[in-house]
Amino acid sequence: MTRWGTTVGALLGAFALQVMIAPHISLFGVTPNLLLLVVITLAFVEGSSAGATVGFVAGLLMDLLSSGPIGAWALVMSVTGYLSGSLKQNLFAEGWLAPVTVGVIAALVADFAYLVVVSVIGVGPAFWPALGRLVLPRALYNAVLVMLAYPWLARFLRTDRSIKSFGRLA
Amino acid sequence: MRIGQSEPKQSRPTLLIILVVLSLVMLTVYFREGDDGVLHGARRVTLEVTAPLARAGTAITSPVRSISSFFAGIGASRERVQALEQQNEELRARLAELEEARQENERLRALVDFAEERKFAKLGAEVIRRPVSIWEGVIVIDRGSNDGVEPGMPVIAAQGLVGQIADVSAHSSSVRLVTDQLSGVAAIVQSSRTPGVVRGSIGGALSLDFIDRTYLPVEGDVVITSGIGGVYPGGIVIGDVIAVDDRHGELYPRIRVASRVPIGSIEEVFVLVGSVVETDAGEIE
Repeated sequence: MTRWGTTVGALLGAFALQVMIAPHISLFGVTPNLLLLVVITLAFVEGSSAGATVGFVAGLLMDLLSSGPIGAWALVMSVTGYLSGSLKQNLFAEGWLAPVTVGVIAALVADFAYLVVVSVIGVGPAFWPALGRLVLPRALYNAVLVMLAYPWLARFLRTDRSIKSFGRLA
Repeated sequence: MRIGQSEPKQSRPTLLIILVVLSLVMLTVYFREGDDGVLHGARRVTLEVTAPLARAGTAITSPVRSISSFFAGIGASRERVQALEQQNEELRARLAELEEARQENERLRALVDFAEERKFAKLGAEVIRRPVSIWEGVIVIDRGSNDGVEPGMPVIAAQGLVGQIADVSAHSSSVRLVTDQLSGVAAIVQSSRTPGVVRGSIGGALSLDFIDRTYLPVEGDVVITSGIGGVYPGGIVIGDVIAVDDRHGELYPRIRVASRVPIGSIEEVFVLVGSVVETDAGEIE
């Protein structure tokens, strides 16, 4: 399968899982953002340009799926994808620490940026309560999922590489 | 070990700038266009397309939810069961009293020719999707415009108010929950008839705002819809007052309300599809 094929497949798969499974695996009311996992992983293995593009598409899908203003998630996830790719290039981290660090930072950035965007356009919740109750718990949840899903997702997205394990991948 | 074959490509800020501008354009269009606009239409199409997926997800996860609720029920203590049994007896007695009052009310209405009591037709619906994001309190039900559902219609459950129809596609609709941060319901305290507004929040808690502190409610007071505003009919139970904080220096007291509806696990709801004059026109379903 080509790179485009695997990317589209991963996006559609994450979209389907976001609809079917994500609402049922919420912890303490926190629902994970499975599309973000694909964006972060792809940005990490392909770079910031691919991350931004896939982030935009994934964000648009998230916008259409939710009830908020359309364009907000597209904006946030394209920036997150770009930053994830840039972090990979500029991060002084080796082995398993690199994807974990990028995953945690990107997960934090994504929900915090969304809070800022909806607050600026006047449809957001109270800022500080939302930061504690929504942004941080979800960032933590997404970061854990990134750590768990990253090796498998990366292996699926980069079939041209013989990725055997997490250590080998990172 | 580092990946040796091909490192990620260099970043291109131009592409990011284009995507950011595109996103901002979409945001602007979304707020400027009406409900019939392209982006709103795209969301309705997504709602329709994802309905089978959501239904499949609910079916797939159903056994897991049943098992977890079974194990959760094991922990119920004997005292709890006895308390519920006692409460059940009390409620049955109360129901009998209310039935007597209802019949008396009907007789009196007939005597004074009090016409046009509004009664809403109820359309049963199944919840096929729970909120996909913590940023919103929106569920999806398996009824749409083909069933007569329209935006703005109230949605209730056996325990009380659930929310209001937001978007509608042919075979499914999204419901903005009363606990959503953007929801607001004109309400009254049932015992004192004091008006206020029940609002949702990010955590899903309900607050009763703009209550005159002269008529402060107490814990346990029932809050119902007032019918003011024309969105929700009056008399639907919203929840019970669970905390009253009358701090000095604030204009209105802080009153917390707990919904009686188990929002997180609700499976069936009713859409109030319209008002009809009370005759023989009963429930659709």
